[in-house]
Amino acid sequence: MEAVSLNSLLWVGAVLFVCGVICMTTKRNAIGVLIGVELVLNGANLNFVAFSRYSPLALDGQVAAIFVIVLAAAEAAVALAIAMNFYNCHLSIDVDRGDELHG
Amino acid sequence: MDSLGPELATYLSIAWLLPLVGFVIEVMNGFGQWNRLSRKAALLAIACIGTGFLFSSYAFCRWGTETNWAVFAEHESHDGHASVLDNPKEVGHDHHAENKSAVPLAYSGKFYTLAKFGNLELSLDYYIDSLTLLMFCMVTFIATCIHVFAVGYMSDELTIEYVDHHAHDSHGHHVHRLGRFYRFFSFLSLFCFAMLGLVIAGNIFQVFVFWELVGICSFLLIGFYTERKSANVAANKAFIVNRVGDFGFIIGLMILWTYCGTFNFTEYKSGETMKPGLFEMVRTAEGELTYTDDTHETVALHTSNEHGHWVAPQGESTKRRTIPYMLLVVAGLGVFGGCIGKSAQFPLQTWLPDAMEGPTPVSALVHSATMVAAGVYLAARFFPVFTSEVLLAIAYTGCITLFVAATIAVVATDIKKVLAYSTISQLGYMMLAIGLGGWAAGLFHLITHAFFKSLMFLASGAVIYGCHHEQEMPKMGGLFKKMPITALTMLVGVIAIAGLAIPGTPIAFSGYHSKDAIVATALAYTQHNPVHFLLFMTPLVTAGITAFYMFRLWFYTFTGTPRDEHVYEHAHEVPKVMFVPLLVLSVLAAGCAIGGEHGQLFKMISLSEPVGLAEGVPASGVAQVTLPSHDDIHAVHSTAGVVALLAASLGTLTAFLLYCKPVVKPENIKNQFPGLHNFLVEKWYFDDLYEALFIRPSHAVARWATGFDRLILDGILHGAAKSTVIVSAIDRKFDEGFVDGIVNLVGNTTRRFGYSLRVFQTGQIRQYVMFIAVSVVALFAVLFALLPKA
Amino acid sequence: MDPLCFLSALIFLPALGALILVAFPSKAVDAMRMFTVAITVLVFAMTLNLWLGAGSFDSSIATIQPVAEGVSKPWIPDWNIHYRLGYDGISLPLVVLTGFVCVLAALASWSINKLHKGYFMLFLLLETGMLGTFLALDFFLFYVFWEVMLLPMYFLIGIWGGPRREYAAIKFFLYTLAGSVLMLIAMLMFYFGSGREFSLIKLAELAQDGHTFDYTTQVIAFVLLFIGFAIKVPSFPFHTWLPDAHVEAPTPISMILAGVLLKMGGYGILRIAFPLCPLGAQAAAYTLVGIGVFSIIYGAFAALAQTDFKRLVAYSSVSHMGYVVLGMAVWKINEHNGTDFWLQGMSGAMFQMIAHGVSSAGMFFMVGVIYDRVHHRNLNEFGGLANRMPLYSGLAAGIFFAGLGLPGLCGFIGEVAVVISTWNFSPLLAIIAASGVILTAAYILWTLQRVYLGAEYKGPHSEEIDHMPFNAREAFVAFTLLITAIVLGVYPAIVFDAMNPTLQGLVDSLQKAAPADAATAVTQALQ
Repeated sequence: MEAVSLNSLLWVGAVLFVCGVICMTTKRNAIGVLIGVELVLNGANLNFVAFSRYSPLALDGQVAAIFVIVLAAAEAAVALAIAMNFYNCHLSIDVDRGDELHG
Repeated sequence: MDSLGPELATYLSIAWLLPLVGFVIEVMNGFGQWNRLSRKAALLAIACIGTGFLFSSYAFCRWGTETNWAVFAEHESHDGHASVLDNPKEVGHDHHAENKSAVPLAYSGKFYTLAKFGNLELSLDYYIDSLTLLMFCMVTFIATCIHVFAVGYMSDELTIEYVDHHAHDSHGHHVHRLGRFYRFFSFLSLFCFAMLGLVIAGNIFQVFVFWELVGICSFLLIGFYTERKSANVAANKAFIVNRVGDFGFIIGLMILWTYCGTFNFTEYKSGETMKPGLFEMVRTAEGELTYTDDTHETVALHTSNEHGHWVAPQGESTKRRTIPYMLLVVAGLGVFGGCIGKSAQFPLQTWLPDAMEGPTPVSALVHSATMVAAGVYLAARFFPVFTSEVLLAIAYTGCITLFVAATIAVVATDIKKVLAYSTISQLGYMMLAIGLGGWAAGLFHLITHAFFKSLMFLASGAVIYGCHHEQEMPKMGGLFKKMPITALTMLVGVIAIAGLAIPGTPIAFSGYHSKDAIVATALAYTQHNPVHFLLFMTPLVTAGITAFYMFRLWFYTFTGTPRDEHVYEHAHEVPKVMFVPLLVLSVLAAGCAIGGEHGQLFKMISLSEPVGLAEGVPASGVAQVTLPSHDDIHAVHSTAGVVALLAASLGTLTAFLLYCKPVVKPENIKNQFPGLHNFLVEKWYFDDLYEALFIRPSHAVARWATGFDRLILDGILHGAAKSTVIVSAIDRKFDEGFVDGIVNLVGNTTRRFGYSLRVFQTGQIRQYVMFIAVSVVALFAVLFALLPKA
Repeated sequence: MDPLCFLSALIFLPALGALILVAFPSKAVDAMRMFTVAITVLVFAMTLNLWLGAGSFDSSIATIQPVAEGVSKPWIPDWNIHYRLGYDGISLPLVVLTGFVCVLAALASWSINKLHKGYFMLFLLLETGMLGTFLALDFFLFYVFWEVMLLPMYFLIGIWGGPRREYAAIKFFLYTLAGSVLMLIAMLMFYFGSGREFSLIKLAELAQDGHTFDYTTQVIAFVLLFIGFAIKVPSFPFHTWLPDAHVEAPTPISMILAGVLLKMGGYGILRIAFPLCPLGAQAAAYTLVGIGVFSIIYGAFAALAQTDFKRLVAYSSVSHMGYVVLGMAVWKINEHNGTDFWLQGMSGAMFQMIAHGVSSAGMFFMVGVIYDRVHHRNLNEFGGLANRMPLYSGLAAGIFFAGLGLPGLCGFIGEVAVVISTWNFSPLLAIIAASGVILTAAYILWTLQRVYLGAEYKGPHSEEIDHMPFNAREAFVAFTLLITAIVLGVYPAIVFDAMNPTLQGLVDSLQKAAPADAATAVTQALQ
């Protein structure tokens, strides 16, 4: 099997990242935003893994990726809790309705 | 007798101070114990002044006995005073003895010192000569008579509810008040005290002191009816006009004080040394001035005593006191200014007629017999200091006064006003006489006038009392039947003042003799100084006018038909307490001058005559007038007597024809000359003139002064205050605007900057993400663009 | 008693009284009144003892008594400031006058109707200030007392005064303070010029030796001092505080103000301005006489135009105090009488101060009596009081005559002594000054006419006149003043004798310190 080139991996990572960002900026549903966040994180994870080939142990990237996954899980939990609370206050999870921090 | 001086001083002082004691008791008790119905005040006042008269008379007798009545024993007419002094017994001070013929007999001494400044000394002194004694007797005697009269006249004040018909309150009702019997007598007593103090005064300063005191008594008495505005105004006018004269008096005092260093009339003892008084300083023992040079510009004052004569020290100029001749003239004029005010001479005569607002006894005592004569008395007393210019001024003042006043008296209809103007006129005669060198004649007239004028005033008071306070002659007439005693006594006074006599016989009333003496002096004077012929013509003509208006008064009041039935109906003769003084006075008014210039009275006066007058005074100074000697006067005496009598008779005849047996109606004459009549009725417009010239400008200046204070001085002050406020306001603005402004600017800028950033803080989470993304891209773009390519 | 203790006791007794007053319950008004009167009477008795008591005052001595240097204790030694007291013929009569007027003013204080305790405390404090000023012989101490006097006065006018009291109080305060500042400058000039000396006696000696202070210094210092004191006198043109202060001040304070405070000015001139700058005084003599004469005439004219009774009396004070300035300054040698005329002027000025203290206090009291009843002072709305209140009117007439300068009453002697001494200095000014007699007579008599004479009372509150009869306390005050006026007028020698040696000494020393060239020649020729 021919080894996949680093460039392709980075392209996928970049596409994921950009998709995540676009998702975050366009989605008004809090869950959608959360999904965008996950996409961004996974895009980053892909980069970690891709680069790990060049490290002496070739495991650093994987470790970092696992940390990110764990963190993402925790974050998802917190984010969903926020979403629940947000819903309690606004009877919706449209993030545009929450502009209390407007200056 | 050395002890005679102090002895006389003691008696006269008692006479002088008794009324003061009376005044104090009367005033104190008046407010307290005595009720308004009590006559005690009057009794006390009469007791005081009566005792005063007794003491004065006793002093007079003592003086007479000591001099062996030499004055009367001597029959050599006008040399009398010299011969008295031949008797060494009556000499007051040692040096007089060596200078018998020159210095008149006088005693002087000191009561006590008021103040002493180095060598300068202000004190109360006495100066007693025959004139002083005569004045004392005259004043106390007339005052006693008038006090007694006043008991009757003022009896309507013996009430607790006096209705003043001449004063109205704002509702037009008559004013009701308590009777003020005691107050009247206390004022009279105070007046007597002041008047006697003036007479006994031994220095010119003391004269000034009592001068003011009689002035204030006059003020109080004129304004006795305090409810009447006219009375208050008249009282103020009297005092203030007198003060105008006193202004001159003070100037005279200042000059004499500065140059002579003393106010004493004659020499006095200072410490252990004798010092010369004003008379010795100014005149030599022969009565002449000493000049330091031939130009007659500076008079040397005599300060050094050599063999009993005061002489001017010779030699070093620093030791020699001198006074510029002009200042001596000014000093004399100044002192005479005081006399003008007090004796109501032209141009200050306007106060005296108004002063008739006072009760009639006051008019009799204060405003005819005594106080107003004080001016004449002072002019006579101060004669040695007057230079010939001053004497000429005195003569002309007297001359103008006597004429002006007499003309006004002709048209006056108020019985008291006629008498007031006649008083002014007669005072003019006295002044004229003194100015002409007829020293004794002037004082002679003073004494006789005091008697007949007080008599006439009291008689007029009796008429007013009898007619229930009616003073207007047009409402009287025919009163002879109702009040014969008053009418007759008044007639005595009228004849006396008119100067009527039966020629060739010694039958003549006092006024004839004294006026005759004055006219004779004037005639002799005019013979020596023909330029001043008016000084003879005017008094002569006025003698006729005097007779006219006095008889007009008498005919108008007592003869003819009653013009006002109401007044006539109620008229009645006065009670005994009032007509007895009238009778007593009428005897004296008729007879006090018996013998004329050979009589006792005239001789008494002549005894005090200033040195050098008897021989006449040759022309000197700017005025260049010669004063006639006694011989000159004597020579023309009979001529003068005849013409004066002629004038008086003419006046009497005219009055008789106009008012008693009317040949021509006075009204017709009045209508013939309305302008002249008005002019006289308006008193030559003096009052209006003074109102326009002095009173209104004074008030204007007063308003200016207040305005100046309010507008300028306070204006400056307020301006300063305001500018301080303005400066501090500016300061506040600066503080608030500039200093605070900078601080605020910093804050505001910061805040505005913060506000400007608000727009980015939308609270939209998606926007934030967008910003972040875009920023990151931009950051990278920048990094890539700027970082050097490896 | 030790003189220093005695004098200190005299000065501070009223202050002590003020302290004791704190303990009084504020409802005990009568007790406070009586207590204040008692204190003032005690002080007056002490001043009389100072004057007449055996061995305390020798009227034949020209110098300061009881010892020539004044009794003293160091106060702030570092600055050479001493607590130095003493009296002589100039200050003693004024001390006695202060005691006298304060007794009568205390008796007149019954009309005060609020904050009694504060009033009486300030009143007593004021008396301490006045006595201290007259007795102090240290310039610094003098200045301190001068200021001590100022503050109670400010409050007395500002709290117990009439409707415009704040304005009047601040006007008074600022005027006087301005004067004090000028005096302070002069004081420091002398202090540093003399090598740190505050003793008035030493300073006078130094000034009169002729080389410690040069001509310019003396002239400047004199101008400063004179303006400072002229404000207090008050002379034209520094007088406009006086009418306002008098009009607004309560009656007893007006009495003190006119009776004593104005004399501080004259006293200051005699005690400080003249001895400390003889050359300056001589240079300014003509101006001073001119100011005096002008004040006389100006004050009289202004009085003539007033319609407020108190304002009229205030302006009469300006006029009468003009004689004081006039009399002090007639500095001219007479060929024959040497400095006698000047001595006469000074004596007259001093006498005038005493006389005015009596007569003006009396006049203000008389105004106060009627004001207490009818509560207005409009001269055109009085009249007829002579019938309504005869005793009051009689006494008032007497006191007003004293103000008029009637012989036999105190006003006359001072005025006439001053006026007749003036011809020697300047005939023209003498004539102008003499014309004041006419105006004085005019405004006083016109006032008497408008207030006391006439058919009836024309103003408001007519019934009050009957409700409040002239009481014994008021009659006592008025009688005392009138009798004093008569005694001084009839026998002025009692005052003249007390002060003449001192004034003679002052005149001689000034003459020696600043002999006029022409005059020197004459004096030498005479010797």
